Amino acid sequence: MTASAGEATNLEPPAAARESLQGRYAGFASRFASFVVDVVVLTGIFMLVLAAINFAASILTGRSIDFNRNETWVVIAYFVWGFIYFARFWGMNARTAGGALFGVQVLTDDGGDVSGRRAIVRTLVFPLSFLILGLGFLGILLGDQRRALHDVIAGTVVVYSWDARAARLRFLSRESSPGAGRPASPALPGPPASPG
Amino acid sequence: MEALAQSVAERVISLVLDAVDVNAVLDQVDLNAVLDRVDLDTLLDRVDIEAVLNKIDIEVILDRVDVNRLLARVDVNQLLSTVDMNRLMGAVDITAIVTRVDVNQIVQGVDVDGVIRKVDIDAVVDRVDVNEIVQRVDVEALVEQTDLSSVIASSTSGIAGDMLDAVRSRTVGVDESIARMVARLRRRPYTGPPGPPAGLRATAGS
Repeated sequence: MTASAGEATNLEPPAAARESLQGRYAGFASRFASFVVDVVVLTGIFMLVLAAINFAASILTGRSIDFNRNETWVVIAYFVWGFIYFARFWGMNARTAGGALFGVQVLTDDGGDVSGRRAIVRTLVFPLSFLILGLGFLGILLGDQRRALHDVIAGTVVVYSWDARAARLRFLSRESSPGAGRPASPALPGPPASPG
Repeated sequence: MEALAQSVAERVISLVLDAVDVNAVLDQVDLNAVLDRVDLDTLLDRVDIEAVLNKIDIEVILDRVDVNRLLARVDVNQLLSTVDMNRLMGAVDITAIVTRVDVNQIVQGVDVDGVIRKVDIDAVVDRVDVNEIVQRVDVEALVEQTDLSSVIASSTSGIAGDMLDAVRSRTVGVDESIARMVARLRRRPYTGPPGPPAGLRATAGS
């Protein structure tokens, strides 16, 4: 996955990114990676909040609270927080933290902005795609619009929102600049084979 | 006999004229009254103006005229105030005049650098409505041009941006690999990421 510096300077960004990907339906890897980041972020925030509550309680009462993840109310609180996290970000910004990192965002199936109501519906039906043994995600791999089950129910799609063309131009500008010989970022990508 | 009479008459007239004081006679004549009785129109009708003008040597007259002195006595402002400029300009065939002007020759004689040096650029710029000009610029078309995009892109690159681009590019690469693999299993051609949604396409196309 990680290219060496020498390789990076000789390789171009993904062929798929030679034109702007903005608006194109996002693929499985981008969506999955985005979801993983979101889970990490919302879990981290949840744990920080619990730690803060524990700290405050220990100061005020002199006793710490033992938050056991097997306790029902902790699980409920976690899912409520997860609902708020996804519904809020999809409804307000069309993207979550993970979506922003990987450059994907949620739109209505006709390309419009997602309303708060639609974001809530999408969040509520999101677990369905997991509950049927993950089959709800098959649509991302097989469908023409790369829609999961919760996308179909909520009337949404997930598209790339980052300007891949600008990224490629940045890459080319570094290649053509006098300082192109500097060690490239190890994360600089080599191109996957061209699509098709 | 007739000749004698004529000789006598001439002699008499000569003697009379010698005896008459013409100046005294003229002093007694009321010239104004005489002129009042003259029909000038009839008199002028009998004058052959053309013949008179033919006898006049205009060149000699003009040579004797001191034009500078003449012009010094002319009140140009008063003269111009009596001129109907609109009527004058209406009578001028501007097109005919312009067609006879060799603009190239005029331009070649102009010291453009000197003119530019005299121009107050700041004053000119102050009068320019930059906002209006910018609104008339097709920024999207400009950005579409690769060279400009390269300049913008190179000016906005940073380490964080590089890392972000790298992560996203890598993930898109995985997306493409998976999509190609699935397409191969389904025996379908793959032509790149599908989309965009119809509404988004219409917006981009408008």
